[in-house]
Amino acid sequence: MAILKTNKLTKHFEGVHAVDGLSLNIEKATIVAIVGPNGSGKTTLVNILTGMIPYDSGTVIVSDTTHRLKKIKPYTMYSYGLTRTFQEVRLFDQMSVRDNILVVLTKRKVIQSFFETQKSDYTKAANKILQKVGIWEKRNELAKNLSYGQRKLLEIARALVTQAEIFLFDEPFAGLFPEMRKMVSHIVAGLKRKGKTVILIEHDMDVVRELSDYIYVMDSGRLLATGTPREVLSNKEVREAYLGT
Amino acid sequence: MNIIPQLIINSIIAGAIYSLVALGFNLIYGATKFFNLAHGVMATVGGYAVFVLSKVLGFHIGVSVILGVLCAGFVGYGLDKIVYLPLRKKRASNMILLVASLGVFTALEAIIAILFTSQFRTLAQHIGTQRIYEVGSAIITQTQVIILIASLVLMAILGFVLKKTMFGKAVKAVSDDEEVAKIIGINTNKIIGYVFFIGSAIAGLAGILIGFDTGIEPVMGLRLLLKGVIASIIGGVGNIYGGVAGSFLLGLVENFGIWKISAEWKDAIAFVVLIIFLLFRPKGIFQK
Repeated sequence: MAILKTNKLTKHFEGVHAVDGLSLNIEKATIVAIVGPNGSGKTTLVNILTGMIPYDSGTVIVSDTTHRLKKIKPYTMYSYGLTRTFQEVRLFDQMSVRDNILVVLTKRKVIQSFFETQKSDYTKAANKILQKVGIWEKRNELAKNLSYGQRKLLEIARALVTQAEIFLFDEPFAGLFPEMRKMVSHIVAGLKRKGKTVILIEHDMDVVRELSDYIYVMDSGRLLATGTPREVLSNKEVREAYLGT
Repeated sequence: MNIIPQLIINSIIAGAIYSLVALGFNLIYGATKFFNLAHGVMATVGGYAVFVLSKVLGFHIGVSVILGVLCAGFVGYGLDKIVYLPLRKKRASNMILLVASLGVFTALEAIIAILFTSQFRTLAQHIGTQRIYEVGSAIITQTQVIILIASLVLMAILGFVLKKTMFGKAVKAVSDDEEVAKIIGINTNKIIGYVFFIGSAIAGLAGILIGFDTGIEPVMGLRLLLKGVIASIIGGVGNIYGGVAGSFLLGLVENFGIWKISAEWKDAIAFVVLIIFLLFRPKGIFQK
């Protein structure tokens, strides 16, 4: 069953076709990699899918319901079960590591959140996820004081605690030490096992080959190729245009 | 007679008033990152709301104060929804928001002056019958005691809400990165609307308390705003605890500054302090 579809999705920036008639069909409980050179429109696509920028034309369908994201505010994407991480890590830097997680658990009804203190089950949930990504010892430090790798892990932890159905990870492996990469790899595979859908924007082809079920190759806002890792990586056009071999 | 205890009392009272203004100002600045100049006029709105309710409509003074605080809160909330939110949606710069808030300030001040004239009015029920307490060689009025208690209680409540409740964490998240706050499902516009309500209500209370202590006039908002902004800059803009510290420091400097000179130098002293901080410690006393 397709959990996320786009049909002829288009976005222009002052004459540049950042996303040009893109049609994706992403199945539930799969890991889908979107690859392509810099400027191919991958991050623009994620920004559109999370409602951060409006698109010009086309359709986006989330969980079998047509949602025209142009009219949807980003915070409502959360209720459709979408969450994301950023290529350049974005945390709440002035908050503690644990508060970065606790804030996700905030009641979405503003008035309720007024009378809702930091309950022990929230703290337990936050501790659990921080332990899972190995930064529990840093729980009381300000997020801005973490190392680059730890910041990446905290951002992934924040995404995990949203209980989303679709995870859009924008280069989650970039700049990580081998043991951290292994941990993130394990987390991504674990999400699939739990029936979640993961969309990986990734440059590292070894990771893509190892984890993904399906690959979309983008170039200049368009799809250059699609298929299983074996199909895509043996595609001559892809190898020439993107892999340089 | 030793004047120092009285100067200390006066400093603390001034600090308490400034901190009420600075609390709301910093709260709103933290969430929106623009200087909301209309914040000062919320104090005027609160003061005149109580004047109308208690002196014109004859409501009980306690009820009038509660409704006056709510009135200032709702005016602030309404301004966010009618003026600032549409501008934010159009991705207006902070400079445009500042200019808009200046326009709002001027318009509201003019409306209040048209409706109530520029005459100075007091909210006190029975002038001259106020209870006075002696603290050593200093005196403090009942209203001033209430000002002090109200500001301390509000600081404690606001501190608790921001530090311990999930609403507080959401406010901090919005202050830190509004876009990411949206991604994790926070309705940031709603949060900012409530922040405007809370901040404006606190400013409204400041105006009401001043109305009981000395009196209200349509132009009272500007002076309060300036003192609140100076206190905020001293303490670090956007930092509510810094704003409180800055308020009491400003109160002390102002009152001790006029120990040997005319009280008319008070505002000049406040601005000298502001310039010193802007030159040598622009991020405030808690700058790291």
